[in-house]
Amino acid sequence: MKKVILLLMMALFIGACDDGFDELNVNPTKPAAIAAANKLTAVQKFISSERYDNWRAGMIYQSTMMQHIATTAGYWDGDKYTWNRGYASSLMDRYYTGAIKTVEDLIFQLDNEEAPDEMKAIARILRVFAYSRLTDLHGDVPYSEAGKAVIEGIFLPKYDQQSEIYADMLKELEESAAALSSGTSNFGAADVMYGGDQAKWKRLANSLMLRLGLRLIKVDAAASQAWATKAIAGGVMTSNDDIFYLQHDGNNRNGISEVFAADGNPRMSKTFIDFLQNGNDPRLPILAARRSDGSTAAADLIGFPNGLNTVMLTAMTGEENTDNYAEPNRAILAAFEAPMVFQTYAEVSFMLAEANVRWGIGGDAETNYNNGVTAAMQQLTLWSADAAIADADIAAYLAANPYDAANAIEQIATQYWAATFLNEYETFANWRRTGFPTLVPVNFPGNETGGTIPRRLTYTENEAAVNADNYQAAISNQGPDILTTRVWWDQ
Amino acid sequence: MNKKILSFLTLVSLLFFQGVTAQNSTVTGTVSDDSGVPLPGANVVEKGTSNGTSADFDGNYTINVGSNATLIFSSLGYTTREVAVNGQSTVSITLAEDASQLDEVVVTALGIKKSTKALGYSLTEVGGEEIATVKTPNAINSLQGKIAGVSISQNSTGASGSSRVVIRGASSLSGNNQPLYVVDGIPISNDNNGSASLWGGSDGGDGISSINPDDIESISVLKGGAASALYGSRASGGVIIITTKTGQGSEGFGVEVSSQVTFDRVDTSLQDFQTEYGQGLRGVAPANTAGALEAGFNSWGPAFNGSSVPQWDGVSRPYDYTGNNVDRFYRTGTTFINTVALTDAKEGLTYRFSVSDLTNEDIIPNSGFNRKSISLNTTAVLGKKLTQQVNAKYIIQKVNNAARLSDSPGNANVVAGLIPGNVNINTLNPGADENGAERQFTDNVFVTNPYFAAFNFRRQDIRNRIIASTSLRYEFTDWLSLTGRVGIDNDVIKRVGVTPFGTGFQPLGSISEQERRTNQVDADLILAANRDITDKFSISALVGANSNHRKFETLNLGGGEFIVPGLEDLGNTVTQSRSRGYSERKIGSIYGSLELSYDRWAYVTFTGRNDWFSTLSFPGKTTPNDDFYPSVNASLVLSDALEMPEIIDFLKLRGGYSEVAGGAQDPYTLGLTYQIFGNPLQGQPTGNISNGSVPNANLVAFSKSETEIGLDLRMFKNRLSFDLAYYSNETTNDIVNVATSGFSGFNGASANLGKVSNKGFEFLVSGTPIQTANFSWNVSLNGAYNEGLVVATDDADSDVNLDEPRTRNVRITHRVGERYGTIVGVSYERDANGAIKYDIDAEGVPRAVEGERKILGEGVPPVTMGFTNSFRYKNFNMNMLIDAKFGGQIFSGTNTLLYGNGLHKNTLEGRETGLTVSGIDNATDLPFTTTVAPEDLQTYWGEINDIAEEFVEDSDYIKFRQISLGYTLPAKALENVFLTNVNISLIASNLFYISRSIDNIDPESAYATGNSQGLEYFGLPATRNYGLTVSLKF
Repeated sequence: MKKVILLLMMALFIGACDDGFDELNVNPTKPAAIAAANKLTAVQKFISSERYDNWRAGMIYQSTMMQHIATTAGYWDGDKYTWNRGYASSLMDRYYTGAIKTVEDLIFQLDNEEAPDEMKAIARILRVFAYSRLTDLHGDVPYSEAGKAVIEGIFLPKYDQQSEIYADMLKELEESAAALSSGTSNFGAADVMYGGDQAKWKRLANSLMLRLGLRLIKVDAAASQAWATKAIAGGVMTSNDDIFYLQHDGNNRNGISEVFAADGNPRMSKTFIDFLQNGNDPRLPILAARRSDGSTAAADLIGFPNGLNTVMLTAMTGEENTDNYAEPNRAILAAFEAPMVFQTYAEVSFMLAEANVRWGIGGDAETNYNNGVTAAMQQLTLWSADAAIADADIAAYLAANPYDAANAIEQIATQYWAATFLNEYETFANWRRTGFPTLVPVNFPGNETGGTIPRRLTYTENEAAVNADNYQAAISNQGPDILTTRVWWDQ
Repeated sequence: MNKKILSFLTLVSLLFFQGVTAQNSTVTGTVSDDSGVPLPGANVVEKGTSNGTSADFDGNYTINVGSNATLIFSSLGYTTREVAVNGQSTVSITLAEDASQLDEVVVTALGIKKSTKALGYSLTEVGGEEIATVKTPNAINSLQGKIAGVSISQNSTGASGSSRVVIRGASSLSGNNQPLYVVDGIPISNDNNGSASLWGGSDGGDGISSINPDDIESISVLKGGAASALYGSRASGGVIIITTKTGQGSEGFGVEVSSQVTFDRVDTSLQDFQTEYGQGLRGVAPANTAGALEAGFNSWGPAFNGSSVPQWDGVSRPYDYTGNNVDRFYRTGTTFINTVALTDAKEGLTYRFSVSDLTNEDIIPNSGFNRKSISLNTTAVLGKKLTQQVNAKYIIQKVNNAARLSDSPGNANVVAGLIPGNVNINTLNPGADENGAERQFTDNVFVTNPYFAAFNFRRQDIRNRIIASTSLRYEFTDWLSLTGRVGIDNDVIKRVGVTPFGTGFQPLGSISEQERRTNQVDADLILAANRDITDKFSISALVGANSNHRKFETLNLGGGEFIVPGLEDLGNTVTQSRSRGYSERKIGSIYGSLELSYDRWAYVTFTGRNDWFSTLSFPGKTTPNDDFYPSVNASLVLSDALEMPEIIDFLKLRGGYSEVAGGAQDPYTLGLTYQIFGNPLQGQPTGNISNGSVPNANLVAFSKSETEIGLDLRMFKNRLSFDLAYYSNETTNDIVNVATSGFSGFNGASANLGKVSNKGFEFLVSGTPIQTANFSWNVSLNGAYNEGLVVATDDADSDVNLDEPRTRNVRITHRVGERYGTIVGVSYERDANGAIKYDIDAEGVPRAVEGERKILGEGVPPVTMGFTNSFRYKNFNMNMLIDAKFGGQIFSGTNTLLYGNGLHKNTLEGRETGLTVSGIDNATDLPFTTTVAPEDLQTYWGEINDIAEEFVEDSDYIKFRQISLGYTLPAKALENVFLTNVNISLIASNLFYISRSIDNIDPESAYATGNSQGLEYFGLPATRNYGLTVSLKF
């Protein structure tokens, strides 16, 4: 009997103590590796992001600061230049743990797999785009060390100066464009933006180079011209077929459409509606509808003044019912499958027009202006076939609003502002760069900026505690972490 | 239905009872000491049987025995006597005092019963009657204030919510710090099944709350590492051993019935809001409905003036204070706890079978829970040498609409706490319009109508849990035995949550269904020997092996956007998501213990254990996945070893050193893994890294060592006693999730260098100032001080970030060199003299400048105390408990929002004539004094609102925790009825604070029970509780 017990104990002691433990601690629900193509598609989805940041940084702040949108709702801080730190940092809160983390991991994998250069180029262009949004919105941001906690063991990345980020982004675009040729990349259909079409990616790389080059106009006009020249020589977008956008689907919804589904507060800003009305713009009934009944008749579309609460609104207009104002036209714009647009041929045309005005490059300014207006009107069919604008209407618009060489920069920038409705990141950046259109600031009691339109959005709040040294270094270089501090290229 | 079953059972039991007792004859008598003072509680047992009773408060007893029986009389501190009945119907005896017998037997690790003399460490046992008299839905809450060094925070999580129990301070920075619960020898799962975070949520309850308070025989708290070495790594936070009642000691077949009802009412004395100014913005009342919707929570309107002002629903009402909205919204909660138990003890078999029902209606309308539990404990002697025990519990719990806490969506508490005084919260009822859509009373969609939150939001948890164990014990000889024990804890929770169609922030609604399956199997094999080697020298030793295997699986289904309103079903949704989570871990162990004793006054015990952790194992890993840890402790009963002055009855010194190791809590933290998202994008698969925290492939076990010394002194014939303990423990290689910048791509990184120390002392002084035949008064005071320090985190001394509340300007943080769990938040920017700096804005309004985030307090109070008085007069008894915590702080989210919305009393100043503010102008660094215009006060306070420093206050309190007044029917009154014992108690809990530092909130009102203590943000308000308990035996 005792022998049996001893044997039993021995078996328990030695045999059972950690048999099979190694295998037990491998997660059966999670793979240890996935294909690079899956990561690429994920990066494209993460760049469009979700409702969270499109609501806060995109709509609540930038769309209202840029006077595309207006509302009395108190939490729409951009309308009144008040400060909500969490809203202001929402893009960086999502991008770094989504797009940046994944694109760095993707590039790491492509390097390890010694993938073809054109695949790396596509990943690098996407990385530049993501960082350009971050740095344009916040200024100095983590760049060279970001997203590398696993790859390089960096837990507290430094904030790179925007001047250095720009230099590197432009270099990345130049190298990427050079690495791309023609034909289809190995990503193939996993590239849900361009289907792996290398030529389109190459044109995108140059178009982004043109955009980033022009951003430098205030701080370094010579560099601005040099990069614009290089971009144009390399070949930029040539038609609406080249538009850089993500087509959403029912299960991967457009974040801005989700905002419209959840939030009934936004109205079309009086500034924007007045622009469309005054120009007799055929986009008016496509972009706007009356909140109460969806009417798109021009007479029913009243713009909503920015920077008011309801008491002030009633005092100013006598109107109590905010539903009598125009809102974004949900029938056209708010489908969950709607495209999320990042750069368009129309924008490129306007930039070419501007380059021609400034430096005589990029082709005839008036032609480019006309191309830009035409493309901006035609591109709306991306949202809906119902948004098609007849060529005759476009022609009539151009006839009534012809290119004005004497006032070209303002006119081009104002059209750019109208054409980038809903891509508010770009609207805000281009407005800061050009100063046009001339937006009249609001001065709501208790606002944070002394009645001036913010020049940037602020950093993630807990960086001050967690990544204190790097955060403080950024402030020392750039200025206080407030809404009125200007980023490097905006000086 | 349930009540009917209970009545039926009771009736059946009554019939049984008559048949059984008719066969016996009755002996009565009195037990007293040498001087004739009755000995209440003296045991009277029929020799050779398990039939027994105890004397009442007058020393009287009644027992049914055979006519040839011999009775054994015993009482603690007195010599035992045996008396033959010989047909007498009255046997009254006296017992002589026996100082050498001042010894109790307590339940220690592995369920081994030990004399307190032999214990080289601190152990406190609480009897079942203390838990059963004033029952709380979660039985563990009954220990609050009663045991030195055991800190219990029930927090404001609702009746079905979880509790936080921490013994001798938290010792792990990121891991679980709650004790291991062992029920009838089997470790049970005490996982938290979900709690609120900064984004809101509900508390899903914990594991220990499944135990029916009426089933508890005793609770032993093993505070130190020495006591818990035999339970291994899971016991690094101490062990609480719960022994449930068995049939042992019952007088043949018996029935016990216990009923309690309690009523809970919101303690409105806590809130002290301003009642002079109403809804509005910048001093202006709403002019129309849109204005009222926009003003929402803002009480920045003019002074109440009785004028007719439009409100959110389009109706204009007098602009006056309408009364207390908190009192209006919450209903009186009720809890019924009914238990019927059948017990029996006969040759070779004892059992206890109980059925219990708990029905709670919580204070938020339409919320509450029901818990039914069935428990069977049997012991069978299967042969001369073989004994088998089977314990089984089946618990069915159904929780309806557990209150949402913290953030505002779906959280009724936010509105009840912030609604302006001129808006009667009843006007928000019903919460839905005729189409089922939420009637929103503000333009902020994230603020939910509280009636809509209560009646239209839906959440239901249905829990089915089986805790069962069996043990077989084989005795080879009278000194050598082998015990095998297997226990299973199988817990399945099915959870449904519905955000209804028509919800403001989610107009089309959504539904989620989750099934959580936890399964734990624990097996032990123990060979034990107990042998007297010589007259004076004896050995007690054991060796054992243990295997603990835990699986956790979740199945999640989600549906978004109901297609048609009203049908809250997954099938009726536009988008669907599904996911599965799975984790599995094992711990294998071998252990041994050796106790040597000399002459029953000197004891020394050694233990050793080696644990292997699957969570530290990984293919190719080179660092060890196991750890060995020893302990030693000793006890010297000086009063037995040496001559002592007469006043000293008992004096014992004890001391020990122990180590205990632990692995990573969760599996799969060693390697990088990926995930594929459930919904391909345009048909293309998408995926990325699934780890949110940087994994660490080299994790090794953490280790906690503890040194403890203590003293146990009893004097003046046991009338005064002291129990003192000092301890010092240190955790090294703690597995810590250190803070990383989110810009690194990860929110945290797993490090293995954490170090935490706790030092503290505990005392218990108890005395019996008065003890006469009819009256006695017992008093006891316990207290503890613990200093928990964060010694290290990682190489870089990184902070470890814990939770933050919705205000996001403050966070619980572990910082090297500071106390465990400090409150770190935004401070005022001050000049060198401490004067507050302001930015003067364009309108001339001074705005407080946000200073650095610094330590504003410590979330865990270091001092805890409890003060108990018990009185007995004849058959009446009264117990009172006062408890207190000192030295901690709490951040109040409620006060933050009360400032910002102008409902706090402090915002009254200057509403008519302006507020004078002095400070330093941040632009010039020069002092200024200015008057903030009344309409700008909203801006001024709105800025103060961001400064967490303003809202961190002391959480000190002294609370009149509990009082009960009981009456036991005298034995004589029961002579001619079938009942053997009847007790009725009136009970009340949480009646009032004797002192309290913080305004408007309950200092114990944190919304979650994890390691982040010291954050308050719209949990359930504190309640007062009144009730009645009746217990019958027959």
